[in-house]
Amino acid sequence: MTDVALKIENATKRFPGVLALDHAALELRPGEVHALLGENGAGKSTLIKIITGVHEPTEGTVWVDGEEVTFKSPHDAMDAGIGAVHQERNLIPRFTVAENIMLEAVPTKRGQVDYAEMRRQAEYWLSELDLDIDPDLPVQRLSVAQMQLLEIARALSLKSRVLLLDEPTASITEHEVQVLFSFLRKLKAQGVAILFVSHKLEEVFEICDRVTVLRDGKNACTNVPISDLNRDGVVAHMVGRDNALSDLGHRAPVDAPTKLELKDVSTRIGHSNVNLHAKKGEVLGFYGLVGAGRSELARALIGADKITGGQVLIDGKEAKISSVQDALRKYQMGYVSEDRKGDGLILAHSVADNIGVTIWHKIAKFGGFVTDTMQRKSVRGFVDRLEVKTPSLQQTLGNLSGGNQQKVSVAKWLAAETEILIIDEPTVGVDIRTKGYLHKLIWEVAEAGVTVLVISSDMPEIVAVADRLIVMNEMQVVGDLPNSRDYDEMSQKIMQSIVGASDLKESA
Amino acid sequence: MKNDNLMKRFLAAEWSSLLILSLVMMAAMTIITPRFLNFDNQAILTRSLAPLLIVAFAQAIVIGIGQMNLAVGAIGGMVAVFFGGMMEAWGFPIPVAIAIGFACGVAAGALNGAIIAFSGINGFIVTLATLSIFKGLNLGVTKSIPFYEMPDALVWFGEARFGPFAAILIVPVICVVALAWFLKYNIYGRQILAVGGNAHAAELAGISNNRVTILAHTISGALAGVAGMLSVARLGVGQPTIGGDWLLASFAAPVIGGAILLGGHIPILGTVLGVLVIILIENLLVLYGVDPQYNEFFVGALILAAVGFNHWRSLRAEARLKEGKA
Repeated sequence: MTDVALKIENATKRFPGVLALDHAALELRPGEVHALLGENGAGKSTLIKIITGVHEPTEGTVWVDGEEVTFKSPHDAMDAGIGAVHQERNLIPRFTVAENIMLEAVPTKRGQVDYAEMRRQAEYWLSELDLDIDPDLPVQRLSVAQMQLLEIARALSLKSRVLLLDEPTASITEHEVQVLFSFLRKLKAQGVAILFVSHKLEEVFEICDRVTVLRDGKNACTNVPISDLNRDGVVAHMVGRDNALSDLGHRAPVDAPTKLELKDVSTRIGHSNVNLHAKKGEVLGFYGLVGAGRSELARALIGADKITGGQVLIDGKEAKISSVQDALRKYQMGYVSEDRKGDGLILAHSVADNIGVTIWHKIAKFGGFVTDTMQRKSVRGFVDRLEVKTPSLQQTLGNLSGGNQQKVSVAKWLAAETEILIIDEPTVGVDIRTKGYLHKLIWEVAEAGVTVLVISSDMPEIVAVADRLIVMNEMQVVGDLPNSRDYDEMSQKIMQSIVGASDLKESA
Repeated sequence: MKNDNLMKRFLAAEWSSLLILSLVMMAAMTIITPRFLNFDNQAILTRSLAPLLIVAFAQAIVIGIGQMNLAVGAIGGMVAVFFGGMMEAWGFPIPVAIAIGFACGVAAGALNGAIIAFSGINGFIVTLATLSIFKGLNLGVTKSIPFYEMPDALVWFGEARFGPFAAILIVPVICVVALAWFLKYNIYGRQILAVGGNAHAAELAGISNNRVTILAHTISGALAGVAGMLSVARLGVGQPTIGGDWLLASFAAPVIGGAILLGGHIPILGTVLGVLVIILIENLLVLYGVDPQYNEFFVGALILAAVGFNHWRSLRAEARLKEGKA
C-alpha cells in the first residue's frame, strides 16, 4: 500500500460564468482524518463532487493509491473504493436497516434477492461498527444519529478505503458526536482515509490530523498538520482578504432617528434575546460563520418565520408582522434572498415580470389591470439605473448572467420602495466588477434614507460596506461593533467576538 | 428580410408546430374525404370542440400553479345535472339556472382550493377525493337518470349553427379570451403564474400562496361548471355521465400545447390547438370508419410525440445557449 490513498492536483471546475474551483489540491493518507474547510461557496462541495465522480473536472488529475483515475460517474468512484456520506440523507425511510446498508450491493440467488444473505452481511457491518441496531427495523424509526452512522456503515460496506463525510455532525447532539468520533478513530486505526468537512472548528481540532482550507475555489492552505495551526489561524485562512475589493470612498456617519429596533427577540428557530437597532439610512452589517442564524433572523423579521418573544419596533412603534405581505405592505420591508434561484427569482419569467411582481398591486388600475407597457414604464428606470445587461425587458431572466440576475433581485426591492431592505449575501457568485457596483449601490440606497441590513460571510465585504457590525454566533448576537473600516482592526475584533463567545460557552 | 424574421418568429413560437400539424391533418382529411369540409361535419366538429376547450383551460389554470385538478369532470357532471334538474324538476328559467349552476361550480372549485391551501394536503389527493365525492353526489341524487325535458331555447342554442360553426362555440371563445386577458393583464392572473413559476419567490414578494391556490381552483371549478352546462345544451339532455371522459383530454391538451406541469406557464394558443388536434383525431377516426374505441390510443401516442418534441426542442435551445456563451 502506498502512503497516499487519494491525491488531487490542479483540480479546476468551470461552470458557465463561474470558476467554482481553481487549481485546488488535496492529499489523503491512510489512517488520517483530514479536515476540508471553507466558507459557503469556497468550492468544498465542488471538490467533493469531483472526488465522488458527480462532476468531471475541467482540468486536473486524481490519483487513487498512486494510480491516475478518471471518474465518469459516481459508480466509478465507488468501484475505486471511495465512499461518501453526503449532507443530505440518502436513506430510504421505509426500507429496513439491512436493505439500506446493502442498497448498492444487493445479494442475489438465482436472480432473486437473497434476504438471508442480505441480513447476514448487514449484521456483519453493524457489528463491525459496534452498532446495536436491529437490521429488520425500518430506517424511519431510527434516531438521526443512528441514521448518520448507518450511512457510514453503508459507505463502508462498499469496502471503501476513502471515506468522505460532508457535515456529518450538522444534525446530531453532542453525545452522538462523541459516538461518531470514537467510531472514526477506530476506522482510522484500520487504515481508512477520512475526509471530514465541517463548519465546527472545535470538532476539527478534536478529531482531525491535517487541514486543507479552500477560499474562492483556491487552496488557502494545503495539507497542513493541525498542530501547526490555532483557531485564529484557521479562521484567518477561511476568511482571507480580498485585495481586489474596490475602494468605496468615504461615507459620513449616520445621524438619524432609529428605524428598526429589536428588544429581546426570540424565534421559533432558536434565537434568544436578540437586541439590536438600526437607524434610518444606516447600513448595518451582519457577520457570523455559517449556522450563526443571520438569514434565519432575517426570515423571522420579514414574517416568513415565527417570532416567539420580545418586541420588534419600527419607527418607535411595536410592529405586528404576521406574514411576508404584512412586512412588505405595512412596514415596507423587503428581503433579497441569498438563494437567488431557490426563492429569489422566477428564472423562467421575464426580467420585467420579476421586478414587477412586488409592485403589481401599486401600479394596477381599475382594481387590478396591468399591461406590459405599464409594467415596463415602472420597471425600466431600475433596470437602467442598475445597469442590468439584458437585450430587452421581456428577456427570460434565466438567460442572463449571475451578476445581472443578482441586480434584478435587488431591483425588484428598490422598485417596491422599501424603507428597510435586508440583503442576504449580496455578492455571492457575481464577478468582481458587479460586486463593486453592488457595494456602491448599497450606499446609494442608504443615502436615500433606506435602512439596509447586509448579511455577508465575506468579511472584507462587510467591513467595507457596513456602518456598524452585528456579529452573530449560534443564534445569538455576540458583538455590536462600530466599524472603523480598518480591515485588520475589524477582522480581529470580529474574531474576538466569535471566539470569545464560544470560549465563554465552553468554560460555562 | 422582414419576411425571414416573421418566419423565424413564427417557427420559434411554441404553438407553430401544432398549427402546422392541425393544418396538415385538415388538408389530409380534405384530400381523402371531401366530406370533411362539409358544413355538417364542420358543425359536428366545432360542437364537440366547444365544451372540451373550456375543460382544457379548467385544467390548465391549475397546472399553472403546479397542481392538478382531477375533479374537473366530476364538477362538470355535478353542475350539469343540477342545471338540468333546476329547469326540468323545478321549472327555473334558463338565466337563473345558469347563474346558480355557475355559482355551484365556483363553490366546488373554492372548496377544493380551500382544503388544499389550509390543510396542506397534496392537490392530487384532495381532488381525487372530491372527484369521488362530487360524482357520488351526482349519481346518488339522480339515480343515474338523465333529465330529458330541456327548455326549447336551450336545445335550439345547442343545435344552432352559423355556416360551419356551432353556435355554442361562442361560450369557449368568451371564456378563453377572458382567461387570456386575465392571465396577462390582471394582477391576480399574474400572481397565479408567479406562484407557479417559483412559489418561494412569490411568497417573499408578498403574494399569498394560499390565496392564489384558492383562486386558481375556483376558476377551474367555474370553468368546469360552464363546460358542464354547455354539454347539456349540446346534448339537449341533463346527463349524469357528462364529464366522465374529460380527464385525459383535460391534461392532454395543455400538455400537448406546451404547458409545464411544474407550473408558471399556461400556453393559451397551444392549449386551444391541443384541443383541436385531439378533436381532429376523433373526427378522422369517424370519417374513416375506424372503431372510435381506438381514440384514446391515438391521443396517448400524440401526447408522447408532442411532449417528446417539446423536450427535444428545449434541449436544443439549451445546447445553443451554451455554445453561444462558451
